[in-house]
Amino acid sequence: MNISYKSGTGTPGFVEVRKFLHAGQQSYPRLLDLTAEPAEELRITLRSGVLVGPALRTVLLRYGQRGGVARLCGGSARRLHYHRIEHTLDDQRPYDYGPPHVLAGSITFVTGAITLGQNQHGDILLHCHAGFLDGDGTIHGGHVLLDTVEVGDDPLIIRLCLFSQGAFVVNSDEETRFSLLHPTPMES
Amino acid sequence: MTTSALTNTLRIPTDDLDIQVQEGRLGKLVMARLKPNEDLTESVEALCRQHGMAAAIVRGAIGSLIDARLAYASTDGWREMHISGPGVEILNVFGELGCGQAHQTLQGVVADSDGKIFAGRFVRGGNLCFITIEITLQEWLPATQ
Repeated sequence: MNISYKSGTGTPGFVEVRKFLHAGQQSYPRLLDLTAEPAEELRITLRSGVLVGPALRTVLLRYGQRGGVARLCGGSARRLHYHRIEHTLDDQRPYDYGPPHVLAGSITFVTGAITLGQNQHGDILLHCHAGFLDGDGTIHGGHVLLDTVEVGDDPLIIRLCLFSQGAFVVNSDEETRFSLLHPTPMES
Repeated sequence: MTTSALTNTLRIPTDDLDIQVQEGRLGKLVMARLKPNEDLTESVEALCRQHGMAAAIVRGAIGSLIDARLAYASTDGWREMHISGPGVEILNVFGELGCGQAHQTLQGVVADSDGKIFAGRFVRGGNLCFITIEITLQEWLPATQ
């Protein structure tokens, strides 16, 4: 961790930034976008002991193949696995997710967001990043595997916005060598 | 008369408060993926321009940054935090664009490669995408009089 502080203005202006060149060929445009229409707004409550990933997939299957986004509005977990990005020895993917960090006990969510995607076969993919306090009061955050998250004593509340006419679909990305979610037109 | 003057903004005066309430509804969604080295705030501004949205809110955004630059107001003015990556994870983004603000502001929560969490206002031009950022905006349509 390397954190530096400096005085700022809080307004637009020139800032010093680092760029990163990935192993693969860049492609254009650099911003991929798509218009979709709002379809459903859902408030989901998952009770103690439920595994979040399978439970969300069960709910989403009722609404067909759709894209969507969600936020964690509160709740706790008994256990979860999350990943952080680490340096690797692979020239093609010099940074990748490391082994899972496993938390168990009392875990309190403080923030979190989910992109609802799918693969080429229509299987639902849940891309979640979240922050949480463990039982010692230490705050953590990273890429959370929702299939490992077991809801704790407090119900987990998720607010979900489903789209029509568009979805996030996974495709291999030549530039970064990762499989990533891309906005994709979709009848629904 | 400006467009904003035509919108239905209510002013609710009380003895010691001056409250503005803007009525409206949410419209179309714009879903996007940012590629490496694209700035978060500048990309959101570009999406609004390209899709003709005078005002919009962030419905969701996650991904990773090369480094993060976050600002916060302190007693001696604005200060910035620089969180070094590569691989600073975006855990959440909140904010709105347009809506009569002089500068667009997005704020959010990030985690560094040790899992440590930081929050603040994303400095425009200072938060470049590392691998990908998935973002969804929704248009805000103020009610007209």
